[in-house]
Amino acid sequence: MIHYLLRRLALGLVTLVLISFLVYGLIRAIPGTPLTVEAGETDISRKLSLENEAKRKAAYGLDKPWYQAYFIWLSHVMQGDLGRSVPKRAPVAQLIGDRIGPTLALSGSSLLLTWAIAVPLGLYTAARSGTPDERATSLVLYMLYSVPTFVAALALQVMFSIWAAGTAWELPLFGMTSGTPDMTTAAWLGDVGSHAILPLVCMTYVSLAWYSRFISTNLQEVLRQDYIRTARAKGAGPIRVLVSHAFRNTLIPLVTLLGLSLPALLGGSVIVEQIFTWPGMGRLFFESIRQRDYETIMGLTLMFSVLTLAGQLLADILYAWVDPRVSLD
Amino acid sequence: MKPDHTPGPLASEKPPRGFWAEAWSRFRRMPLAMAGLVFVCFLGVVAVFAPVIAGTKPVACRYKGSIYFPCLAYYNRAWEPVVFTTDKFRGEYPRNLKEKDPVSWAIWPLVFQDPYRTVRADEWPGLPANPARDRGRPDARNLFGTNQAGVDVFAKMVHGTLVALLVGFVSMGIAGLIGIVVGALAGYFGGVVDMVISRVTEVVMCVPTLILILALLAVVEKPTIWKMMAVLGLTGWTSISRLMRAEFLRLKSSEFVTAARALGAGHSRIIFRHVLPNALAPVMVPITFGIAAAILTESGLSYLGFGQPPPAASWGSLLNDARSNLTMWWLVLYPGTAIFLAVLAFNLIGEGLQKATDPRLREARK
Repeated sequence: MIHYLLRRLALGLVTLVLISFLVYGLIRAIPGTPLTVEAGETDISRKLSLENEAKRKAAYGLDKPWYQAYFIWLSHVMQGDLGRSVPKRAPVAQLIGDRIGPTLALSGSSLLLTWAIAVPLGLYTAARSGTPDERATSLVLYMLYSVPTFVAALALQVMFSIWAAGTAWELPLFGMTSGTPDMTTAAWLGDVGSHAILPLVCMTYVSLAWYSRFISTNLQEVLRQDYIRTARAKGAGPIRVLVSHAFRNTLIPLVTLLGLSLPALLGGSVIVEQIFTWPGMGRLFFESIRQRDYETIMGLTLMFSVLTLAGQLLADILYAWVDPRVSLD
Repeated sequence: MKPDHTPGPLASEKPPRGFWAEAWSRFRRMPLAMAGLVFVCFLGVVAVFAPVIAGTKPVACRYKGSIYFPCLAYYNRAWEPVVFTTDKFRGEYPRNLKEKDPVSWAIWPLVFQDPYRTVRADEWPGLPANPARDRGRPDARNLFGTNQAGVDVFAKMVHGTLVALLVGFVSMGIAGLIGIVVGALAGYFGGVVDMVISRVTEVVMCVPTLILILALLAVVEKPTIWKMMAVLGLTGWTSISRLMRAEFLRLKSSEFVTAARALGAGHSRIIFRHVLPNALAPVMVPITFGIAAAILTESGLSYLGFGQPPPAASWGSLLNDARSNLTMWWLVLYPGTAIFLAVLAFNLIGEGLQKATDPRLREARK
């Protein structure tokens, strides 16, 4: 077990270095640097003189070729320093720390909501397999799964912010809060809550459709097995058979899924956060690509990659833990 | 689902059918999958005949004694007959044809609207100019309304169909090719080859797709639709390769491969003649789902403003127009529905393929 873990960790480190190297090369290949993007945004009178620009380039390490700059970045990371964002004038670690809260609030509640609805729905569709109501439910779920998030987000915005304007159904178009600093905590929470409804719906419906289909398919496969017939023959009720005999045995793939959803939990959703201007990680990522904010992109990529690899490892370990037939070595 | 014919060679009058014929007969009996297939065929027809459905260039016309097909210019700018450029038509056919050659005739597209520009007043006798800004609600003249620049949404969508389908098929063709080759090599040779390929696959999977796509698009500079397809293909092969690798791992130790090796078959013969045909069915499923994903990604990128520069005709770019003014609901409803239906159709086909080709599911049904 320890041998396995060490091997996986070593391989993971190699992968991390490869990924960061590749991403560093890629982002330096995108035309423009943080300085040119910034210069394009400020007015001409304040544009930097050539000499000054060369000085700033040197200060940010932009005068070196990208592979050299990469190794400087790498050595800083090894010392626990993610660097400073040039356009945002703040340490990357602090930028990421500021965004974790909003992202986690959104993705965490989305995950809880998904599971709370998907498990009963999956059980229901598996139990009623083949009946007209199950087919209708499955078809609706399948259609939901095919609706692109950005289309759903736009449609929801049109419905709840434009058409419902002035009615009780109106919901805020974007942002996390429109409150004033002197709001009471309860009023602030309510305000954030009303801002979170549309992004939450957008983040939840796809995974909801996907998870409940996944649970249902797995359950239907298990329900065909002999031991289920035995359980029924012994006189176990339909609910008992479904929940404690069948569902328990489909937990293994679910556990794997849980591990694989780890990066999305902290990474947030770029599209949803961008559309609703939710101040989370996904939006930070999008902003930093726009601003050629190399340090922040690298910090976020590193975080995503660590989470992805950790999620895979976690899934494999959990898999071996819940299923004694699986051995890791 | 009942078995098609009773088992046993003597009981059946028909000759035994091959794997794909069998799969097709199962596929045909799934109404949803068939509906998806029919819809994709419909999209294909719309895509191919887009200039006949909506355009401002005649499908065919007789001008100064010879016959021309100016609508072909919608497929490729260079195919616009030179005579119309030298005679200074400037894209306005109806009036110029009549003025410069009174005996000319022309067959016009079903809808006189252009996907790349607005239609000016009296360009078509009696037809007023397209409404611009937010006044372009859908009506009898602009079936799906117009965008801020006054370009007809219906025409844009009809012409965008080709883009959507091409993106799906070409990018997944590239991804399929890479995925199949890479996965086959990893699975067949194993050892160091597998180790290296698996690491590379993992790296590509871990790099955030948005960065990968944006950086690659930036490297190729001016994004055209073809470069977009290449980039989507270069980033979308990982799941195909993993599945292919698993199939090869499973099949390479089977008896028929051992038999082929014993007969003296070389590596390439075993890979291409013996294992690949048997491993192809499972990878058709992620390729079909991949087409749906590619259409989704392309429209998503256009929506975020990273697609082809305007005035490209892409479903996603219409959604991007909607972003600046949400009261123009028709810029959300029609392209959104088109993207949704296309994605749904390919997902349904993929699901049908999975059910039709998976031997495990087949056994379970009997």
